[in-house]
Amino acid sequence: MLPLWLQWVLWGILKAVLVLLFVTVNAIILIWLERKVSGHIQNRIGPLRVGGPAGVLQSFADIIKLLAKEDFFPKRGDPWVWWLAPSVAFAPALMVFFVLPIGPHLVVQDMNVGLLFIVAITSFSVLSVFMAGWGSNDKYSLIGAMRAGAQLFSYELPMVLALVAVTLATGTLNISEIVARQQGMWLIFPQFLAFLVFYIGAIAELNRTPFDLGEAESELVAGYHTEYSGIRWAMFMLGEYTNLLTSSILVSLVFLGGWSGPLLPGWVWVLIKAYLLIFVAMWIRWTLPRVRIDQLMDLGWKFLLPLSLLNIALTGVYMAVMA
Amino acid sequence: MPAWIRRAAVSIAKGHRVTLDQMLRRPITSLYPEEPVPHFPGFRSIPVLKANEETGKLNCTACGLCARSCPPQIIFVESVVGDDGRRKQWPAFFNLDLSRCMVCNLCVEACPFDALEMSADNELSAYDVRDLFFNMEELAALWKTAPAVRIAGGQKR
Amino acid sequence: MEKGSEVYTAEEAGRLGREGITEPIVINLGPQHPSTHGVLRLITTLDGETVLKAQPDIGYLHRNWEKIVEGWQYPQIIPFADRNDYISAIFNEWLVCKSVEDALGIELDKRAEVLRTIFAELNRLISHQLWFGTYAMDIGAFTPFVYALRDREWGYALLEKATGARQLYAFFRIGGLRNDVPDGWIEELSQYLDYFEKEAYPQYVDLLTGNEIFIQRSEGVGVVSRDVALAFGATGPVLRGSGVPYDVRKAHPYGVYGEVEFEVPVGEHGDNLDRAMVRMKEMLESVKIIRQCVELLPEEGEVLTSRVPRVLKLPEGNYYTRLESPRGEVGLWVVSTGGLGPYRMKWRAPSFVNLQLLDHMARGEKVADLIAALGTIDIILGEVDR
Repeated sequence: MLPLWLQWVLWGILKAVLVLLFVTVNAIILIWLERKVSGHIQNRIGPLRVGGPAGVLQSFADIIKLLAKEDFFPKRGDPWVWWLAPSVAFAPALMVFFVLPIGPHLVVQDMNVGLLFIVAITSFSVLSVFMAGWGSNDKYSLIGAMRAGAQLFSYELPMVLALVAVTLATGTLNISEIVARQQGMWLIFPQFLAFLVFYIGAIAELNRTPFDLGEAESELVAGYHTEYSGIRWAMFMLGEYTNLLTSSILVSLVFLGGWSGPLLPGWVWVLIKAYLLIFVAMWIRWTLPRVRIDQLMDLGWKFLLPLSLLNIALTGVYMAVMA
Repeated sequence: MPAWIRRAAVSIAKGHRVTLDQMLRRPITSLYPEEPVPHFPGFRSIPVLKANEETGKLNCTACGLCARSCPPQIIFVESVVGDDGRRKQWPAFFNLDLSRCMVCNLCVEACPFDALEMSADNELSAYDVRDLFFNMEELAALWKTAPAVRIAGGQKR
Repeated sequence: MEKGSEVYTAEEAGRLGREGITEPIVINLGPQHPSTHGVLRLITTLDGETVLKAQPDIGYLHRNWEKIVEGWQYPQIIPFADRNDYISAIFNEWLVCKSVEDALGIELDKRAEVLRTIFAELNRLISHQLWFGTYAMDIGAFTPFVYALRDREWGYALLEKATGARQLYAFFRIGGLRNDVPDGWIEELSQYLDYFEKEAYPQYVDLLTGNEIFIQRSEGVGVVSRDVALAFGATGPVLRGSGVPYDVRKAHPYGVYGEVEFEVPVGEHGDNLDRAMVRMKEMLESVKIIRQCVELLPEEGEVLTSRVPRVLKLPEGNYYTRLESPRGEVGLWVVSTGGLGPYRMKWRAPSFVNLQLLDHMARGEKVADLIAALGTIDIILGEVDR
């Protein structure tokens, strides 16, 4: 029998590998799905030539291509900051998964303060954006990083406040507990305002159209990752799509009843709900034009923040009256 | 509820209806190399040299009217000089520089002998600009392989 | 301020009436940039997100058109003129033909005149569709661009069926058209117009121009007042967006524009939204004009009149001809010494003139609106640089 500490380490490594595998496979599927959805929305076919059913191998071909690319470094950039930024983008996206239950008991570490942990960890993404923008020593990157920084800060707040209302209503920060409290009614119905604020905030956090100001293609080329190429750029993409997956799973757990559903096993229900939300995010992305930076700030501070505060007040009053 | 929220929600919902509706339709993409896109009659690519169907000889008499009418001056034609030192009525060479051709049809309109025609073969790309220089034999062969088409409507000046 | 001295001094900042200016950064938008509509370079001075100055640097697509055509005969100029405004090439051909026809007093047959008007309006429709797509892309929506290209393709197919080329037609000749339209072409044209009016246009409105984000992005941005637009010599939708109902088709009718009924859409404030809406309405007006032209089209008639002299020589003198292209008044100044070709030709490109307004539009706006303002000017670099 192995010593206890070694067992513990081996289990940890195994869990980490499993999570990494799950996240990577999902991100690859998501990148393919985004292309297919955008293609069909635009009356196109989307990826097709590489092979597999409906061109599903396209993302693998892309990864091979990106790995083979030149590792370019801007001459006057800040090397350490520049090199670390993609990892800082991807690591928090991965870390969230350690407390995110995919099904009943299907979680790496069921934390009592899981929601708080997720909120804390996702705040790191602003750091990676800023590191990338600053380290590149590029004006487009810098403007993109400034925009994305301001955007992420101002949408963090309404999102967290929306979750505060959820915590008020359920009385717990443990995500499994929150799911368990939704057996009677999904939280989206009593907490629709919170859902709305959280979902809009999530789309903004993910830097997706209509809020993709950090990488606004028409004016900033590619925003904060203009200077990145090859596998480093792929890390940003991977982080972005992992974040899309995490926030969709989180919304489906917190607002859409998680694994409650007939017939199918719990984790399938979670994934079905998450992928539905992902599709909606893609649908929104390929329909709407981009907002301007001042309109984005207005929406965040003058609309979503008061709305989430109002929601907390309403929830509090309701709880007090019912109690 | 303020009016702008309602307006925004309705307009955004309308946009999403359009995209969802289009998503459920058949894609309009045509897979180009596998399914060649047909050209309409009258489509013009480059001028090619016509030959007489019975004798197999070129109609060209090397009069040079096409070369003079060509705006970018890319047709190079010279007549054969016989043993007696006089110019004959057939071309010694007829070269065309496709890299500068504007496919304007002016040479065809200038030709009084019906020796030129616009070909419909547009897949003439090359990796080297020198491969876009066509000589008399190549142009005559192009006329045989690629179905050349009359200008649309069948009317000619 | 001269080129090369892009540093913004405190005095210049003060003149703009801006207090507490931070360190300005100079950024080169273009010539390799996703949304400069070709190869335009914008030397932009930014204060954070706000544009202090936007200086267009042109010439990356210069082909020396005006000098090259000096040695050419008039019929030879037609295909090369196509390359100026390559999105709406019919107008360039028509302009060259019209200048010679007007100078020599060549009268066209009715059928040729009506067909020319039909082709021009079809090309205007296609050109505005492309503008719709690129403007959507400038403000961040990609899907409308693909829809615009999808609908434009049918229009291009129609033009290809008649002229033999998709984009650079070389179709007009001095004295008419090269050939008549094929059988069934007019019917297909009517189908296309029905499709555009009933299916495509409502999609454009629902997807983009009716969208609240679009309206918020465009309203009150890039304002050009009536006086400024007139002072800069702007024409076309840029001028009409500022509330001046000037349209060459109405002011100096040519073709059969005198016989058809159409409106000249006019904006009110001269902002991006007004310019966009003027173009959207012009698409419907084009449809209306083509429908009336189809009614007017005589069954019989020479498309290429036989009254053209064998040798085309313009009498000595100066000639100015103008047309209303999708971008504004496009004019051609011909100086003839009586030879086979022009002594000098000057192309009045509406894109070039309208582009001068960009700096005026963009100052004080956000950098995203600079791109949007550039989109509403609807420049074609082939015409700006010539």
